[in-house]
Amino acid sequence: MIPADIWGSTAIVGVGETDYVRGSDRHICDLILDASVEAIADAGLSPSDVNGVIPPPGYMSTEEIAANLGIPDVAYHVSVPMGGASPTASLQSATMAIACGVADTVLVCMGWNGYSALRPKADKPPSRRQMNTGPMGETVRNAYAPYGLMSAAQHYSLYLRRYVEMYNVPEEAAAAVAMACRNHAHLNDKALMRGRPLTLEDYRESPYIAEPLRKFDCCVETDCATAVVVTSLERARDLAHPAVVYLGGAEGHPSPADEIASRDNILELGIHRAAPRAFERAGVTPHDIDVLEIYDCFTYVVLLQLEALGYAEPGGAADFVADGNIELGGKHPMNTHGGLLSQGHCWGLNHVVEATRQIRGAAGKAQVENAELALVTGYGDFGDGSVAILGVDR
Amino acid sequence: MTTFLPTPEWLLLDWNHACIAADTLCIQRCGDCGQWRHPPRRLCPSCYSAQSSYQAVSGRGSVYSFVVSHRSRDLGWQEQVPYATLLVELEEGARVLAATSISPDRVSIGQQLNLRIAIRSDDFVLLWADDPS
Ligand SMILES: [Zn+2]
Repeated sequence: MIPADIWGSTAIVGVGETDYVRGSDRHICDLILDASVEAIADAGLSPSDVNGVIPPPGYMSTEEIAANLGIPDVAYHVSVPMGGASPTASLQSATMAIACGVADTVLVCMGWNGYSALRPKADKPPSRRQMNTGPMGETVRNAYAPYGLMSAAQHYSLYLRRYVEMYNVPEEAAAAVAMACRNHAHLNDKALMRGRPLTLEDYRESPYIAEPLRKFDCCVETDCATAVVVTSLERARDLAHPAVVYLGGAEGHPSPADEIASRDNILELGIHRAAPRAFERAGVTPHDIDVLEIYDCFTYVVLLQLEALGYAEPGGAADFVADGNIELGGKHPMNTHGGLLSQGHCWGLNHVVEATRQIRGAAGKAQVENAELALVTGYGDFGDGSVAILGVDR
Repeated sequence: MTTFLPTPEWLLLDWNHACIAADTLCIQRCGDCGQWRHPPRRLCPSCYSAQSSYQAVSGRGSVYSFVVSHRSRDLGWQEQVPYATLLVELEEGARVLAATSISPDRVSIGQQLNLRIAIRSDDFVLLWADDPS
């Protein structure tokens, strides 16, 4: 096989998502299965057509998912523990498996109790199921937590503080990201923050969590699940929806990836390595892209990713996000579903779902006119990165 | 209220024990090319040598970055908000985290300071930057 033949040979054919809520009555496994059932049905397939599974990094295993959906013959599964970079990187693994003939149709699913895990109800014991913390667990427990750095906001501020000071990144740039996501959430019936306006004044008055991160720089914690179904482009052409082609993608890891402090360049993240690989594989350039779905756990992390993708020089993303450029109607509409900041946090698989809808032309009020190319990023653990470029079938 | 105390294992435990035994800050150093590295690693990332030892360092360094935390899940740390956690580049080249009594509004990137160890258990030392003023 010529490796270049892989890219563009698969497509996303089904998507599913639950509501994004602060406290769900559904068990975490039911959330994951609800989204999976919806995605398989959306594709016009049945569980017996699925023979590959990429489960969430933690929470629920392929074996359980297959057993509960009635998938009779799992020919391939793999775990991709890269935190929030996992789901988008999983599209790469699914595509490799399909292109190599190891699997025909792969289910990628994600779900968690991101709100309830930290806020158990008195009458209901919290689920004991947990995320696979990958490389972070040991480092946080033994090296960061003893210094008072327990949360992701605190860990990422180790580099975001230096980023802001080195380049004089204005607070208005972070606010522009938060406000764009919020404005888009108002158009999305499933967005948690729909109907709750966010002004620059609200942003400036919000308290610091870990400088430079204010409350409104941080994404919303939700209980939710999402799923997508990937198959060969050939098969996709016979299915329910227009095929959404996976044109190319990549993953990347900072060095070292298991901790932050010792990196030569603390501002070089996984996506800095993944982005050029993804554009080359897809055969497109940053300015060909019609819709951006950028992993937005924290606003400043979005700015760093936009620079890594080539939309601005290092430290220069402020101009890119200004003047409504990243809002619907702007030149580079971003996070048209509201993102992790205002729709809900489903580890970026919700970004893949939204990108798929955009390319189908089925994104409702948030539809970007003539959207032919969408770019999704993932970001997780201590800065692992992933990119996926999706496009219309030509 | 005390802050969280870890129970490290493997290489980090060896490093903590080296600092406690020497009663000063030690850093792992490559036995072949001489590069200082932290956190400790099995192989040298420059020359791939497996030879290394923990050697005392001066403790002098400068602030490479820092975090000012305004809330913490740890009750002991929550009592101290806002507090700064320093990422210090030692003059030998390795970077370490340090806790400090310096008020967050008086910390800046590039600031010179001295680190010392505070032995918190048989298996853990906290690196600390005293307020020089
Ligand atoms: Zn060496």
